[in-house]
Amino acid sequence: MRKCYIIILLLLIPRYAFSVEVTPTKNPKSGQLTWEFEEPEFSIKLIQLLPDFVSAVFSSRGLPPQVVDTLKDYCVFGTIFRNKTSGTFAYRVSDWRFITPDGKEHKVKTKDEWARQWSDMGYPFHWMFFPAEQKFGVGDWSQGFTTIKLPHGSRFNLKLIWKYQGELHHQTLENLRCAPAELPARSSGS
Amino acid sequence: MNTRRYSIHMLILVTCLLVLHSVYAEEPLGHHLNPVTPHQAADFSLKDMDDNSFNLKNYVGKVVLVNFWATWCPPCRHEMPSIQTLYQRYKDKGFVVLAINEWEDSDKVFVYTGQLITAPTFPILFDRKGSVADKFSVKGLPTTVLINKKGQVVYRAIGGRDFNHPEVDKVIRTLLSE
Repeated sequence: MRKCYIIILLLLIPRYAFSVEVTPTKNPKSGQLTWEFEEPEFSIKLIQLLPDFVSAVFSSRGLPPQVVDTLKDYCVFGTIFRNKTSGTFAYRVSDWRFITPDGKEHKVKTKDEWARQWSDMGYPFHWMFFPAEQKFGVGDWSQGFTTIKLPHGSRFNLKLIWKYQGELHHQTLENLRCAPAELPARSSGS
Repeated sequence: MNTRRYSIHMLILVTCLLVLHSVYAEEPLGHHLNPVTPHQAADFSLKDMDDNSFNLKNYVGKVVLVNFWATWCPPCRHEMPSIQTLYQRYKDKGFVVLAINEWEDSDKVFVYTGQLITAPTFPILFDRKGSVADKFSVKGLPTTVLINKKGQVVYRAIGGRDFNHPEVDKVIRTLLSE
């Protein structure tokens, strides 16, 4: 019986030690949600972005529809990631995974992958995407768009991996939601 | 129909830009510059709005702040006035700022700087293909490097900073006195 308790305890520990859910804040005007996670080593803010906004932002950089349309199968988050340590802190988006409700892990498409794809289409623009990797010093931070290949409105968990003091660490951010396809007022009002 | 669609699109764009800007603009700017192992800065030659060429190698003997930025980047806009203040303070003492814009053209930058209360007086250069950003291993905007009088990169900052801070001031004064 004691063995059984220990096994159950061991199974539970990783979940509570390495996953976290926070209540998002809602923008009263747009209805968009923002999640802010504060950890001893980093903070991350994820802001839902509506597909129309994402299209408009990239179009305003002079990118043609055929390039902008490559984003239509992705939900996009404005992302701000900060080093809170007093040392170096490194991450690679290629290590990160989003986890769908069926428990499957999926790769997050990186800025470098977008850069290659759009460069092949004749438009080597990539600056708005969240940097694919950084080695942060004290006070360093990055911002940009993170892309998740899921339908608008989907729920998922995001597993972050980073390197600090020579060791890899991970944390799963639970119950994130992609922005809806349209503003709620527009979808319900017509 | 097209006009209506365009208007809706523009309204969404402006609304969302304001929303996104307000979120990013609230992000506090630190002031810590990270010392790096001194290494020779890669030379570059870029043009400004008036087609004047600027070569980094011409600034050996001066302290150079190279700032990689873009007009759409909220922390870039947030930190720029503090760079201008620092530049005004030390420009006659051997301090140079080269603001390297990524991807955009002079029209976009001209419109942007025209809106500022204090327009930057340091050179704004254009790195349309990102080749200079690559030379400096810039992965995201803004990124800033400080180059000493020997032409070596000695400090680096990823993400926005308040350059009008006593700690930054101290770094610049030290580099100018070397």
